Formats: sequence, C-alpha cells, structure tokens
Amino acid sequence: MNRAVFAVVATIVVAGLAVLPLLGAPYWTTFVFSILIAYVLAQSWDWVAGEMGYINLGHYVFYGIGAYAFAIALSSALMPSVPLAMVIAVLVVAIVAAVLALPLFRLRGDYFAFGTLALLPLAEVLTNNNTWLTGGADGIVLPVAHVLQAAFWLALILAVASFAVTLVINRAPFGFALRSIRNDEEVAEVIGLPLLPTKIKALVLSSLFAGMAGAIQAWQMSYIDAVTVFGLNVALVPIAMALLGGSGLRWGPFIGVVLLAGIQQWLLVNITMLQATVYGAIILLIGRYMPGGILRAGILRGLPWLAPLTREHGAFVADTAIDQVVSSSAVMSAEMPLDRIAPRGTETPLLVCRDVAKAFGGNRALAGVSFNVAQGEIVGLVGQNGSGKTTLFNCISKVHSLSGGEIRFSGRDLSGLRRDQMAGLGVGRTYQIPRPFGDLTVAENVALSLMFGPQREIPARALTEARSFLAYAELDHRRDVRADALSLQEKKLLEFARALATRPKLLLVDEIASGLTPVEVRRFVDRIRAVRDDYGITVIWVEHIASALNAAADRIIVLEQGQLIADGPPAVVFRDQRVLASYLGAAEVVE
Amino acid sequence: MMLEVSHLVVDHGKLRALWDVNLNVSEGQRVGLVGANGAGKSTTLGAIAGLYSAAGGSIVYSGEQLVHHRAPDALARGIVLVPEGRRLFGEMTVRENLRMGAYSGRTRGTLVEGLDKVFALFPVLRDKQAQPARELSGGQQQMVAIGRALMSQPKLLLLDEPFIGVAPILVDEIMAALATIAADGVTMVLVDQNIGRALRFVERATVIQNGRTVLEGDSATLLTDENFATTFMGLD
Amino acid sequence: MSIDVVLQVLVGGILVGGLYALVAFGLSLIYGVVRILNFAHGTILAVTGVAASLIFARWQLSPVLIFILLVPSVFLLGAVFYRGLLHPLERRSPLEATIGTVLVTVGALLILSDVTAVLAGPTQRNIMLRSPVIEVGNIVISVTQLAILAAIVVMTLVIHAILKATWFGLAVRAVTQEPIAAELCGARSLQVKTLTFGVGSATVAIAAVLYVLTFPVDPYMGFGLTVKAFTIIVVGGIGNLPGALIVGVLLGVAEGLVGLFWGPEWSPAISVILLLLILVAFPAGIRWRRG
Repeated sequence: MNRAVFAVVATIVVAGLAVLPLLGAPYWTTFVFSILIAYVLAQSWDWVAGEMGYINLGHYVFYGIGAYAFAIALSSALMPSVPLAMVIAVLVVAIVAAVLALPLFRLRGDYFAFGTLALLPLAEVLTNNNTWLTGGADGIVLPVAHVLQAAFWLALILAVASFAVTLVINRAPFGFALRSIRNDEEVAEVIGLPLLPTKIKALVLSSLFAGMAGAIQAWQMSYIDAVTVFGLNVALVPIAMALLGGSGLRWGPFIGVVLLAGIQQWLLVNITMLQATVYGAIILLIGRYMPGGILRAGILRGLPWLAPLTREHGAFVADTAIDQVVSSSAVMSAEMPLDRIAPRGTETPLLVCRDVAKAFGGNRALAGVSFNVAQGEIVGLVGQNGSGKTTLFNCISKVHSLSGGEIRFSGRDLSGLRRDQMAGLGVGRTYQIPRPFGDLTVAENVALSLMFGPQREIPARALTEARSFLAYAELDHRRDVRADALSLQEKKLLEFARALATRPKLLLVDEIASGLTPVEVRRFVDRIRAVRDDYGITVIWVEHIASALNAAADRIIVLEQGQLIADGPPAVVFRDQRVLASYLGAAEVVE
Repeated sequence: MMLEVSHLVVDHGKLRALWDVNLNVSEGQRVGLVGANGAGKSTTLGAIAGLYSAAGGSIVYSGEQLVHHRAPDALARGIVLVPEGRRLFGEMTVRENLRMGAYSGRTRGTLVEGLDKVFALFPVLRDKQAQPARELSGGQQQMVAIGRALMSQPKLLLLDEPFIGVAPILVDEIMAALATIAADGVTMVLVDQNIGRALRFVERATVIQNGRTVLEGDSATLLTDENFATTFMGLD
Repeated sequence: MSIDVVLQVLVGGILVGGLYALVAFGLSLIYGVVRILNFAHGTILAVTGVAASLIFARWQLSPVLIFILLVPSVFLLGAVFYRGLLHPLERRSPLEATIGTVLVTVGALLILSDVTAVLAGPTQRNIMLRSPVIEVGNIVISVTQLAILAAIVVMTLVIHAILKATWFGLAVRAVTQEPIAAELCGARSLQVKTLTFGVGSATVAIAAVLYVLTFPVDPYMGFGLTVKAFTIIVVGGIGNLPGALIVGVLLGVAEGLVGLFWGPEWSPAISVILLLLILVAFPAGIRWRRG
C-alpha cells in the first residue's frame, strides 16, 4: 500500500472513530471501546511474543495491576485525580514488570508460557486476600460516572499509540534486537546484544500499555474485581485474538481483534450457555489448524489484494531501509569501514590461555591447555573432531564458562564477563554450523552486528555499511534474501561477514572452508590473510584442510583429547610424526 | 549386492545435503565411507538407517527397495546404525543401555545370550554394567554403543565416527572387536575421519565430496593413489 | 496452638502432597517423552474427580469399581487427544508448534472446565465414605485416609517398577534421554508418545479418584493443580520419581502449615511464589544427580 494513501485512510478512520461517542449510540461506542482496549492488549502482547518470540500468557496480569492501581489511587481519600491515578498506575505496572522479568526470563519456550500463566492465579489470590488494599472479593467501586466519552477517546489515543509504537519499534535498533532474540539468543548475545536488559525493556514496555488499558477500562466500568481482571477465561482472549490474526505480522493483532470481537459479540447475543466452551474451542482450533494465524493461511497468502495485510514485518523494514541505502550510496567498494588496528605498545600477548580446562560431566573436553597469541598473528588450530577445538572457541567467547585455568584478552581476565561484553572487547567469531538469523535478510544479519557493536549504529547507517562487509565477503548480490534461503556456502560467507562487522580485534574462525571446492578454499585463505594484513585483525582459524592452514597461518596449534600436543610454525608442525599420526592418520601417504 | 544406494538425494529442511551419492556393499564386506567434514557421510548413513527420508534416488537392501522407511523398519531388516557421538542413554545403566538395544523384539527372547556375547567382546563392560553410562570413559561408552547395536543381531552395521573421543589404546581394542564382529559375517560400513586408519580396516572405500560420490575403489589402490591423497586429504 | 493440631495438619499435608506428586509425575512423564507441557493436565483431575463423585452419588458404586471404570477411559482419552490434536503439530516450525500446543491444551482446559461446570454444576463435591477412625494420641486418621496413603505408596512403587522393569518403561526413559538413539533401537516414537500421553493422563485419573475420597473437587480447580505439578517437576527434576514425591509432600505440608498459621486462603499462592523464588535462586534449574 502506498504510504500516502495509507496515511489518508488512517486519518479518516481515526477521525471517524473519534466522533463516534458524539453520535449518541452508546451500544456502538461501548463495543468499539472494547475493541480498542483489546487491540492495545493484543498488540502490546505481540511485541514480546511475535517480535521477541516469548509467549507471555500472563500479559493480562499487568492489565489487572494497572486497573487496580488506578482504582485504588482514585478512590483513596488523599487526592482523587484521574491523571495522577493514571501516572501511579503506570509506575506501579512498570516496577512490577521489571521485578517479575528477572525470574520469568530464566524460562524459555513453553516453560516461559507456563510461568507467566501461573501469575494469573497468584494475582487473583493476592487480590482477594489483601482486603485492606483491594476490597477483597467485593472489588472496588470507583467514585465516577458517565465517563464513556472521555474513556473512549483515551482508548483511541492509546490504540493509535500502540500501532505507532509498533511501527517505530520495527525500524529502531530495539526492534532488530527483539527479532534477533527470537531467531537465536546465543548468537545475538555473541555479537554484542545485552540480553537481559533488552528483554526487561520489552516486557516493561508491553506491560505499560496493558496497564494503561487496564486503568482506562477500570475508569470506564467504574467497578473492578479480581475475576474480571485476572480470570483465566478473560485473560487469554487478547492473546487468542493476536494469534488468530497472525502473531508477528503488522496487521495480525488488529485483524484478529476485529474478527474475534465480532464473534464474541455474536455469541453474547445468540448463545447463553457454554460461552467458555465456544471460546475454548476457537482457541483450540486456531492452535490445531493455524498456529501461524489467519493471515498466514495459504488461502489468504494467495490473494493479491490482501498482500499488504499478509506481509511480515521484515518485508516492510527492508523496503524502507533499502530506499535509504540506495539513495545514500550508489557504489559499493569491497573496502570494509574498519579502522586498521594499531600495534600494541606492550609486549604482552593479545590472548593468553593458561591451563584452560572444561569438563562436561565426566567428559574432559579441555584438560589444561596453555598458549599465547600475539597481536597480528594468524594461528591455525587443528585436531580431530572431538579434540576440543570448538570447546576452546566457546570458552574464549564465553559461551562456556571455564572449569579451570584462566583466559586473558588484552591483559584483561575474562572470568565474570558476559558474552555481549566479549563482542565489546573485540572478540568476534563464526560458527562451524552457520547460525544466521533465519527470518531476517542477509543485509539485516550483518547490520545487527553494527547496531549492537561498539558504535551502536542506527539501522539505516548499519544497513548501508553492511553492504561493504557483504561486498567484502562477495555476498552483496544476495543482500535482500532471507538468510535461511542461502546455500551452505553462502551461509558460511554470511558468518564471516557478520563476525567482521562486530569490528573484532581477534577473530575466531570455525571451519569456514570445510565442504568448499579447492578454488573457494583458496579464496578464504586470501581473505583471512587480507583481514590480518589490511586491517590488523588477529585470527585463530580452526580447519581440517592442512593445505589451507599451511598457506595462511603463521603458527599451528594442535589439540588431541583436550590437550595441546604441538605448537609451532606450519613447516615444523606438519612434519611432526605425532601430529601426523594423531591428526591425519596417514603418515605413510605424505612421505 | 546386499546394499545398493544409487543417486541418493537428501534434503535437510531447505538445504540439500546429498546430491548424488552412490554406495554399493556386498554381503560380508567392510566398506569405508570417507570425505571431508560436511561432505555428507553421516547423512548417507542416516538415510540408510531410516533417520532421514530420501528426496530422490533409491536405497535397495537385499533386493527390496526401502521407501520412506523409519529407523525401526531398517532395524527390523537388520540394518543398525551406531550414531556419531554415541548417543547413549546417559542416566541409564550400561546393562539397561544394552537391553534397550534388544527393544525391537526379535531378540528379546535371547537377551541373556546377547549380553554374554557383548561382554565376551568387551570384557570391561561386565564389571561396569550397573553404572550409569555417562560415568564411563569415551572409549568404554563407544563399546556400549557398539554393544547396544549388536544386541539386535544386525546383518549390516553402520558405524559413524566410532573413534571420536576415544583414547588411542582403546581405539586398537575397539578395532580388534570390530574385526571379530566382521569375522562373524556382519557386513560393515565405516565412517572415520582418520582416513589412513579407515582404509587399512576396510576392503573397499567410497569417497564423498559436497554430497556427491566422486571416487570408489579398493582401499589398497586408494592408499597408493597420488591423486586421492592431494585432492581429497588437502595435503599439498 | 497445640502440637496436635500441627501434627494433624502434617498428616493432611502429606496426604495431599502425595497426590500432588502423582499428578506431577504424570506431567513429568509426558513432558520428558513428548516435550509438551499439557496446560489441561490438572484439569483432568478436576473432571475425573467430579465424574467419580457423580457416579458415586448416582449408583453408589464402590470406589474400586469407579477406579476400574474411569482410569482406562482417561487413558484412552489422553491417547486420542494426543494423537488427534497434538501430534499433527510436530510437523510445523518450532515456534508454531509451541504456540499450537499451548493453544490446544489451553483450549482443552477451558472446554473441560466449562462443560463439567455446566453438566455437574460449579459446586464443590466429594465422595463421603463412612469409615472408622484411628486415634493416635490426639491425632485422628480415618481408615479411608490410611488407605489413600497406602494407595499412593503402592502407585509410586508400581510406576517405579514399570519404569525400571518393563520394556515400555525402558522405552520411556530412553526416549526422554536420547530420542534419536531410542528410534535407532526400534522404539517407534509415535507409539511411545501416544502410550505415554495415555499413561500420564491415567496417572492423574488415579490421583483424582483418591483425591475425591477426602478432598472436595470442583470444575475450576484444575489449573491450580497444574501449577503445583509444574512447580514440583521444576524443583524435583524431569523424570525423577523420588524427587517428585519428596517435593510434592513438602509442598503439601507447606500449604497445610501456611493455611494453619496464616489462613487457608493463602495456601494456593505458595506454589507460584515458591516457583518464582526458585527461578531466581537457581538460574540454571536445579540439577539432581543420582547416586
């Protein structure tokens, strides 16, 4: 949809809704009011679920807390002011959400869904029991009347704000952060995203909108009790709406809310019994037949005139971002915007590993490995599968914590550091089995490193610069493709570009050339040398292809059974009988 | 021919892992499957054992074409895979792990005899049979994995990297055990990253590169083939 | 407050805690093998309990007969539920599969509670058996309660024996620990999963019949129980039977004591608060090592 047309249509619709309370149709005003509130809930829920991938079934708790905080503040004798009560409600919800985020984000997947759902009965018990504060089972009657018009307008503003926030999030680094978490938390952290603060921010933001919706609802109804704001049946409705439409889609929550609210209204009029059953059946059937939502159903996907509604967020973002990219820089060079790393003044090595040990249960993956890497070196790391190479990489990038020994980088002890801080210090890595953010574009994958990196670049600039890194990896022509559609070889190139975009001082390269043709392997040898020669980046390269390491590396380190068995120039190490026997197993072939 | 894999194609999700793999194994033979990391060795074994479905080509076993067979179907025909990384049931005892090998039914009745055979092959396991499998060393765990596979009396044994994480002394012991098993008439396909070791054990070998069979021949011939050493092993 | 009252509460806590443990064990069995958290798990107890009390009120059948009637039915329903509504979701992407299973089981929870409430009324009900009481000091224990306690112990031993000694039990543990290796050993995953879903549900049905003999049930109590069972398996460990029993009994006793000293209306909050506290204290989850 053309953006100007959309703006005009949206303005007309919002203006039309704004005059609705003046038309003297209280039934319709109330109905639309309930839709607006439901939309705020569904959309704010989807920031955490659709964007970040965490299914928060306890979203309604924050709605209820907002409603109660507002009601208690307003009915208190101290200062019965609606704006003040709103502010209090918002503050209370923010604090509760921030505190609850700590235990809740220990959970993943359906455990998280479960933990959040368990908040509802807890909230109900607490509300019913703390009679002194909440009035217990009697609920609270607010000293207000005839506020439908004002509440309606507030709800309309909040709903428009929810949509606007959705648009803003999608273009902001924050939205990229959420989507990277949804795709692969560990990788997001390794390229420099502080995970917990991001998750807390997302939960607090989403809870704030739910809390405000609760406050407005309480004001409009002028009465609340625990069952209406914490009951299991009502609590899941906005979530069912978002999922029905299509979680993670720009228009998903909106479409879902309108559809389900319509059905609900019809049920209220036509069915007196078993309403919860009908609701349950709708939820169950959505789950069974279209967990991706109506807008993702194959039938709708095929309708061209519905295309604007059924597109994923990513499609919109790529559109706008690429516009800016093209206008800002037409020609791409294969020069990466990296500063050449100056030689270190001191004599201390860049990386010091001392007696590094790592055990998984009884299995000793690393049994006391010691070596140094000087700045500007290219070190080849070899050893059989299972000899501990990848484990060593995981220890250096803090994916694993050590069982013993010490690792120092730039003179700094790494114990106690988080993964995202490693990226900040200048340790970048690739994964042996590529782990791209699958549902983001190739350009976005690389841009994320720039956004989370030391320079915290804005998305437009990051997407522009990403092209230089992609050009360097000879992948620029695939920049607008979803990363999960790449071939294995292309994914390896993407791993390389993404790691370089973290602006590393030390680059850990894990079997990037395996499975490639000799010509492609040669290209990687050249690239790795160029990365060191042109930009001063220190490299540790794990690879099974001896000829590649022979050509690229200054030094070879050999691991066997978690122990270092050789460390020296390639010419020496690759002649060592023990190395040949252990690693290549083909001494007689070489001679 | 006991096993004839022709033009096998396997996809992992959207990615094609095997493009055109051919592998022929005759009864009683020991065949090596070699290639670089990521070439498709494990996927080939997995497809034969019923872990992955073929997207093209055919797998014919003892004259019967296997179509969309699952692992239990392969097992019922005597095809057993010893998977990479052993995949033992870590919290279960060694004896329970071995018992689980006889789960499929054909050999449940001869459980005790089966256990005795495994213990005869790997005497150290007899003393460790009440220990949880995760407490064993890498080599002993590999013995359990092979023993578990033997419990169903396989005709075709597929071994995927059985020497990873195994101490050198135990490698020899396991090698010897494999030779004994082969002498009993069990056909074998071996994947081992240590090519020299693999070629010395097997009679024939098939080389896979980027999901395609590129070379096939007697192991003795391959061991002396210059071309093989340079292109395949990456030694200049 | 006398020590006798506390002891009396302890007895009740152990009894209800043992039943929680049975429910938790069904949940953990299913989660271990099928990797699905069934939100409707506790609701099975509510529904089965109501059904048992209705049958008793109508036909005065003996609890043993009700047990024989209901447990296999629930087994069958659980298996069919998994096969028809949950298993097909396995083919979808991981996120869609998670969303799908959550929605299907939450939907089932709403339907089961609502239909039961409409058919049987939303009131609390239980089975009142006349049984003699035994007095130990000032503590009063009815023969029914003793029988329930014995039944819990027997059921725990039976489940333990099934897991340890039968081929099915072996397969359940194997699939829980290494699903691919289990498949390679010939365990057909669909078969094992369907059976496990049935057995896990039947475990709850067993707990339900025992529960309704001393405690009241209502159609809406289910989710609270699911929360308790979840807390128990988070603390006790997936597939850890003794762990579940210990934690279940501790939870039951804690609820009893909180009810005694603070007021019974606070008891339901214990498990959720405990769960949140444990998540803060043990970020990586509690690791239990056997032996």
